[in-house]
Amino acid sequence: MSERALAERFNEVVLPHLGDALALARWLTGNAADAEDVVQDACIKAHAGISGYAGGNARAWLLTIVRNTSYTWMARNRPRAMMAVGDLGDLDDMAAAHGTSMPDEDGPEASLIAKADTAALEAAIAALPQLFRETLVLRDINGMSYREISAMLAVPIGTVMSRLARARGLLASELGRAS
Amino acid sequence: MTHDDGLPNDPEGIRLMIHALVDGELDAAAALAVERRIAADPRLAAEHARIVALQGAVSRLPRPDVSDAFRARIASIGMAGTERQAPVEAEPQRGTPSTLPGLIAGPGGGQRREAGTRPSQARPSPRTRRFGSFDWRAMAASIMISAVLASGATQWVMQSGVDDGFAAAVASGHRRSLLAASPIDIVSSDRHTVKPWLDARIGVSPPAPDLAQDGYALIGGRVEVISGRPVPALVYRHREHLITLVAEPQQGGKTTQPDDLSSGGFSMVHWSDGAFSYWAISDMERPELDDFVARFRKAAV
Repeated sequence: MSERALAERFNEVVLPHLGDALALARWLTGNAADAEDVVQDACIKAHAGISGYAGGNARAWLLTIVRNTSYTWMARNRPRAMMAVGDLGDLDDMAAAHGTSMPDEDGPEASLIAKADTAALEAAIAALPQLFRETLVLRDINGMSYREISAMLAVPIGTVMSRLARARGLLASELGRAS
Repeated sequence: MTHDDGLPNDPEGIRLMIHALVDGELDAAAALAVERRIAADPRLAAEHARIVALQGAVSRLPRPDVSDAFRARIASIGMAGTERQAPVEAEPQRGTPSTLPGLIAGPGGGQRREAGTRPSQARPSPRTRRFGSFDWRAMAASIMISAVLASGATQWVMQSGVDDGFAAAVASGHRRSLLAASPIDIVSSDRHTVKPWLDARIGVSPPAPDLAQDGYALIGGRVEVISGRPVPALVYRHREHLITLVAEPQQGGKTTQPDDLSSGGFSMVHWSDGAFSYWAISDMERPELDDFVARFRKAAV
């Protein structure tokens, strides 16, 4: 493929999804300023690898690069924040041990959740363990399907489901406590 | 309390299914079953309401703006390639050794950006409902339920007098959809949505009257592949029963009266109107299916 064609493909594949890329990076790194750095790094990688893009879901392809770049960037620039990740398997075990959704039988009223203010919700999302947070963000902010998330994270769909339920359960009880 | 609707019976399993319902990941049959569970249990209803409220709140969070300056900076990466090659590294999705598994090594430090943060275009809502739900059996299996696939399906196809391969394929397609393995590809009660959808996919769109007033609501459509050819299938709901109506296009076909092919607990009726050859199958009683067929034929004229 000619360089010009590659450049055009880059524009078609990457530019339409910058908003999603920034949103994901913002939640994985914790702030919007870092997100732009991360997405820029990710786009450089995407550009270098554009000839390997085989068609298909451009958004999922780009977000996969953004996710990986976010963690690389965090490991380099925010090493202390990354320590919390630990062994990835532990969290799933923890989730299984605690049940996957609500920590107790009854969560807060739906109306309490619905009127939670933006700052409280953002803080609650930021406080989620990384694995739960990324699953929640990919689903509820990026709007990806279970199957897309499962492919991106290379985990079974059941794991996606339990992480998502756990993330939402933690958020709900946090919002219920805050209000 | 046990249920025979194929859903998990443990509380965690059913909660996961409620999340899947809210996320639009269930096909019509599974969604119906979950909705029934929710209706019967106030605790599940409260959980459902919580999930909906939470998802709504998260989706309303402000999203980062894509500033014009940022967009221009990214676009320039694409341009740069035509003159100077950006530092080529390993293919992005292939990991190189890193501090964490599955991560890729980063390029040199990113340049600082200038702080242009004009608000730019509004984003479409991320909460667009997806129509393509995935194989529900995979989900069920992955959350460990002991789903016993009704062996009757194969048995019926093998033993019944239906020697026509097409009828057998229609039957197993319907049976699969009841087991929720073959999703409704487009969920809509609006025939003005279903018809163009089918037309765009396979260039065929059968009559799709909505018979909701007669008690048969059009709930969606899907594409079945039968004898190696894609054929449109409409899905109707009558009380708690699903009816699959496969419409095979006919070339200069003849008109035939409804013919009973029922067997093994399923009712199946076949007829042709010259343009399409229809196969209606359901687990309803035969008289009810006949009633559906009569109303459909009347409305489809």
